[in-house]
Amino acid sequence: MKVKIKGWNTVAVWKWLANDDKCGICRAPFDGCCSDCKVPGDDCPLVWGVCSHCFHMHCIMKWLAAQQNQICPMCRQDWQLKSE
Amino acid sequence: MSTPSERRLQKELMSMLKEPPTGMEVDTAVMEHNDLHTWHVRLTGAAGTLYEGENFKLQFKFSPKYPFDSPEVTFTGDNIPLHPHVYSNGHICLSILTDDWSPALSVQAVCLSIISMLSSSKEKKRPPDDALYVKTCSKNPKKTKWWYHDDTV
Repeated sequence: MKVKIKGWNTVAVWKWLANDDKCGICRAPFDGCCSDCKVPGDDCPLVWGVCSHCFHMHCIMKWLAAQQNQICPMCRQDWQLKSE
Repeated sequence: MSTPSERRLQKELMSMLKEPPTGMEVDTAVMEHNDLHTWHVRLTGAAGTLYEGENFKLQFKFSPKYPFDSPEVTFTGDNIPLHPHVYSNGHICLSILTDDWSPALSVQAVCLSIISMLSSSKEKKRPPDDALYVKTCSKNPKKTKWWYHDDTV
């Protein structure tokens, strides 16, 4: 039997590789977006600190902007962005 | 459409109602009109401590900036625990409520800290400056310049 494919639909899934399933700041799942955004993905990325804790970029930026001491909300160490 | 602070409060409320943590119970009756910005939580003193079997009521007030801004937490009702860090007007001297607040904390974490603070008390007494403080303080304990010096209780 010979089959001729006329077209197909593909589905892909993606997920962030984080060490937790939820952002410690907004409590929304990492596979979703922060509470200010509507669409997960590159527009609402995750960032990691040197201390290995991970947050939505928008969440940690809001916290650091509101603080004089730049500390990680989870471990209170100085927050430094981990360069990939 | 709810705000980011309301969405986070909603998540916290659901989790506390679904799996009530030991010694704390959210009083949803006072959340009229679905206003998530004021909570009442009933606390029970832990077994084997000076406050065993006693019931207290905590009031939480959340600003629209929560969790970036700490909640305003006071004891309320007719039983204010006699404790060296709790003033007779319900204000609590506890660093995580101001200087050491973190957005990773939560209502549950704050309640646990307060139950733990009560549990480590060795003597039921008011802070030494209670009379003066209560007379001169702001209604909002977050406006007090707290001096955190006693980590033992």
